[in-house]
Amino acid sequence: MSEAINKAVLESTQIAIMEQLPETGVPARSPLAHQQQTASRTAPENPGVYLWESALKTHLALRGDANNADFANGVEAATGLALPEVLQSNHNNEWALSWIAPDEWLLTGPGDQALAMEMSLREQLGGHYAVINVGGGQTLVRLAGPRARSVLMKSCPYDVHDRNFPVGKVVNTVLGKSQATLRRVGDDEWELVVRRSFADYIWRWLVDASQEYRLSLEQPTQGASKNRAGRLQASPVEN
Amino acid sequence: MTQPNRLDNGGRIDRSKHLTFEFNGRRYKGFSGDTLASALLANGVDVIGRSFKYSRPRGIVAAGAEEPNAVFQLGATEATQVPNVRATQQELFNGLVSQPTSGWPNLQFDFLGVFGSILGRMLPPGFYYKTFMFPQAAWETYEKYIRKAAGLGRSPRDPDVDTYDHLNQHTDVLIVGAGPAGLSAALSAARSGARVILADEQAEMGGALLDSRETLNGKPASNWVRDALKELSGYDNVLLLPRATVNGYHDHNFLTIHERRTDHLGDRAPANQSRQRLHRVRAKWVILATGAHERPLVYGNNDLPGCMLASAVSTYINRYAVAPGRRLVLMTTNDNAYRAAFDWQDAGREVVAIVDTRAYADGAWQDEANRRGIKLLKGHAVIDAQGKMRVTGAVVAGLNTDGTQLTGKGEVLNCDTLASSGGWSPAVHLSCHTGSRPVWDDDVIGFVPGKTVQKQLTAGAVTGCFSLADCLADGARIGAEAATNAGFNAEPAAAPSVRCRPETRPMALFCVPHYKPNSRAPKQFVDFQTDVTAAGIELATREGFESIEHVKRYTAMGFGTDQGKLGNINGMAVAAKSLNQSIPETGTTIFRPNYTPVTFGAIAGRHCNDLFEPKRYSAMHEWHVEHGALFEEVGQWKRPWYFPKPNESMQQALDRECLATRNSVGILDASTLGKIDIQGKDAREFIGRIYTNAWAKLAVGKCRYGLMCKEDGMVFDDGVTSCLAEDHFLMTTTTGGAAGVLEWLEFYHQTEWPELEVYMNTVTDHWATMTIAGPNARKLLSELTDDIDLDRDNFKFMDWRQGTVAGVPARVFRISFTGELSYEINVQANYGLHVWEKLFEHGAKYDLTPYGTETMHILRAEKGFIIAGQDTDGSVHPYDLGMSWAVKEDKPFSFIGKRGMKREDCVRDNRKQLVGLKTKDPSIVLPEGAQAVDNPNHPKPVPMLGHVTSSYYSANLGRSIAMGVIKNGHKRMGETVHYPLVDGRVVEAEICSTIFLDPKGERQNV
Repeated sequence: MSEAINKAVLESTQIAIMEQLPETGVPARSPLAHQQQTASRTAPENPGVYLWESALKTHLALRGDANNADFANGVEAATGLALPEVLQSNHNNEWALSWIAPDEWLLTGPGDQALAMEMSLREQLGGHYAVINVGGGQTLVRLAGPRARSVLMKSCPYDVHDRNFPVGKVVNTVLGKSQATLRRVGDDEWELVVRRSFADYIWRWLVDASQEYRLSLEQPTQGASKNRAGRLQASPVEN
Repeated sequence: MTQPNRLDNGGRIDRSKHLTFEFNGRRYKGFSGDTLASALLANGVDVIGRSFKYSRPRGIVAAGAEEPNAVFQLGATEATQVPNVRATQQELFNGLVSQPTSGWPNLQFDFLGVFGSILGRMLPPGFYYKTFMFPQAAWETYEKYIRKAAGLGRSPRDPDVDTYDHLNQHTDVLIVGAGPAGLSAALSAARSGARVILADEQAEMGGALLDSRETLNGKPASNWVRDALKELSGYDNVLLLPRATVNGYHDHNFLTIHERRTDHLGDRAPANQSRQRLHRVRAKWVILATGAHERPLVYGNNDLPGCMLASAVSTYINRYAVAPGRRLVLMTTNDNAYRAAFDWQDAGREVVAIVDTRAYADGAWQDEANRRGIKLLKGHAVIDAQGKMRVTGAVVAGLNTDGTQLTGKGEVLNCDTLASSGGWSPAVHLSCHTGSRPVWDDDVIGFVPGKTVQKQLTAGAVTGCFSLADCLADGARIGAEAATNAGFNAEPAAAPSVRCRPETRPMALFCVPHYKPNSRAPKQFVDFQTDVTAAGIELATREGFESIEHVKRYTAMGFGTDQGKLGNINGMAVAAKSLNQSIPETGTTIFRPNYTPVTFGAIAGRHCNDLFEPKRYSAMHEWHVEHGALFEEVGQWKRPWYFPKPNESMQQALDRECLATRNSVGILDASTLGKIDIQGKDAREFIGRIYTNAWAKLAVGKCRYGLMCKEDGMVFDDGVTSCLAEDHFLMTTTTGGAAGVLEWLEFYHQTEWPELEVYMNTVTDHWATMTIAGPNARKLLSELTDDIDLDRDNFKFMDWRQGTVAGVPARVFRISFTGELSYEINVQANYGLHVWEKLFEHGAKYDLTPYGTETMHILRAEKGFIIAGQDTDGSVHPYDLGMSWAVKEDKPFSFIGKRGMKREDCVRDNRKQLVGLKTKDPSIVLPEGAQAVDNPNHPKPVPMLGHVTSSYYSANLGRSIAMGVIKNGHKRMGETVHYPLVDGRVVEAEICSTIFLDPKGERQNV
């Protein structure tokens, strides 16, 4: 990875940029690895809800001013994604960019790309901005299936009806007594960004809320992706 | 087992499904479709409870939510006990077990019944207040017996075996009540495409149409209901919620619906299903189609079993095929109630007489009564019910035209059922929840919903519109209006045709006069559940309670679990008459949530047991569990408290952890400390304004401790902030203060200094932090890193370095909360457990000892390091703490708290100041919170000097140590103060420096 670091960026920056992933052979443990291990592997017939962790991804918080062209264009140049509007997200095959707050976006993508993407962003961005690697502090939880929406209705006060929450929309909302960033990624599929320390609570909350809908802790097969990050020793159900 | 009152035909019950149930220890039979009340009536069970105060026998009065008497304890097992269930709303299921909640020791003969007259005199109106007042101590004794005899049910002693949940709903139109108006409204709104929720408290939707004698479009009303529901259930945009009581209407059109999902299926909910659900609804528009409750008339002994509401008689006959008696006398002020007599007669039972209080009643309804050969006594009233355990007769007398006096002598009519109707009271409850006062309407003879500030419409009987045709048309119109308001193109649904029979004007009569004044007449009950009589209300007004709110509180009228649904209007009318004023002048009390009682389970939902409160875990939590840690809750974090070995006491474990750290090396999971990443060219300036000390010259690679104050100059958080790069800092906060500090920074940035170019982000969860502390810390770390120069002169105290630890990129901070040589290793949290375990692999030879928060507290107290929130409490500024070195007075821009700590009160003498405390007897550990005094023998009140903030036994020092605040403490070094304890002991302690160990700081600079 070191050769990927643009020396010019490193020399000019007044920010401490750091490769935070080990070189090889060091096992990573995602925030929900313990739940994945203990979960029953026998999926029910015809599940109404699927729940799995999309673990060990890159999570970069981007702070900046959408009206600053050096920031907005830079983000697009580095990620290939335009800055999404309020409560929206944009994504391509690898990366998803979600609106979080008026001056904040979240970029998620392949787990081994954190530093390369941060460097690329810093190369492209101008003006007052910040890039913060937060990948160790949060994880992605996917909730899918015909009853996924019912589980969300039990869990958060925001209106998740089709008319109010089309695919691509993002909100930060209350989940149980914690919180999550909720993005609708498909008709029946949602992604939750949850903080590491709250992940166990949220997982158990969602498992509990799914009880009556026949819960599968496997990813549904048709949506499976082969995009397994090579250097990460991912948990068995990570996509 | 026969059901003597069950009719051979009719009703909406399923006669093919026989159900067995238990009431009061006896078994009965009923049918699917019965309520518990209809099944009891079918079985001829007259007495279902005893009254609250006088212990009089009581029977079922109503058929719905307004029932005051048939309030039962349900449950076949201890864990499934439910108090406070109205039998009229409980669907029958096989194996249902119910108990009366009143009538101790039993229903047929009870203590209060025998001594009732004596106790009745002891329990006059205002009885509660009077017992509260005198003698105060006796209340606890009264309460036990009164509660037992009064019958309010009991809570289960075993944990609830069922689950309950919440569902958040959003809708364009919420319609409350699925009677004729509600159904019509739903059709109009649903056809427009609006999102519609239709909620009804009953198992079957249709409301009054289910027991109506009227036809819609020439067919039975129930056919129209069936078709309407079929259409509605076909829409994706419609949610039908039967068995769902809208029990609260809150601000901003937030409503709560209590849905009973399995209460009709059995004692326990089926597996994986919640028993009850609370829907939390945000509605753009609300339509209240809540209907009306029939008002009984007040007369002597009107509480005898067999006295019922006229409409309830019709409901039991038409819906449940139960005629609750043989011989009926009906007293009414209106035409509508005549149908009870007609239904009764059609059921093959004898109508003894219709007693109409109106001499002027002469229309279609009277014609039909005559045609049916029913004896019709116009201008008459029932003044008294006769009987002991059930009505055996009704005393009927002539009544003058304004209903104030009797004319002529009374006549006794033999009967076993006495139905009455004083008209209908619109169910204004929900409209009241939002603070809207209902308004009296003379034409309606009732209160109707008042002006509202909510996006609320009303339709049907709740508006005082009582004719079926009007309700249907009104509902259709309002349904369209609501949907239109919510942004849809809606047209009123075509209303079905109804053949209307004209009605003669009803009479405004509430309490039937008696020959004797009310105070001497047989008891005329207004509120059955709280045993309030007309005489009691009059007494209250005589005692000077003129406001209806005071009358309510003095008599307890409307205080029952039924909230006085039946009796309140009658009570207000009695009070108005007694005060010689009109009902609108008297006014009304209003209703609060909840409409009917809600189980605690439904309120709690899934926020219970393991999910009651989030538990936050660090990346090393599993290791702590495996190694026997006991946990302390810090905020929502579960932090290791200490790690006891088998057979070790807490103090032994702490002593071991403390000694191991000071003698070799200990390790603490410090991941929970708040961490805030601060970037931007103004980051340094921003930090300088937040902290009290100087930051201008902190070099890259260096760390500094800082204090944060609020504007008042009082310390609220502290921590170490490191300069990662010129424009990049990492701030640490206390564990509990992390979220608050980040908000504080954002608040100041957004509101006061938006011109500063700085961004703050939490990275608390991103980094796993492990602190190794002790003389062998460097040796241990050196085994795990080869790219960090650990030389004491190259990596000094308060420096940080980047490198690799156990193969993982890390930032290592040489900072110390123990006073030992100490390194805080930060790695990306997904690798935290790996590094932690590697440290233990290499640490075994150094006896690497994990320690928890308690040892951390002891070690820091030995060094006099404060904990914000423990040694400070919002009234302590840096100078009080003796930390003037952490305040930089001459910063160019000032800092938060600078002016605050210069206030007169903050610079005066004799402030409480933080000092160390050594007890004279080194074995005594002062309790935290103990108050210091100079002279324990001083006459009371003894002047107090301040309290102990931190106190421990220090194994390293072989004695107890404490910190505390003492008035003027910094100038009292060496003096003795006294701590009188709760157990009578007085502990002497010497004021000393807060630094108990290594005052020169030599241990951390090695």
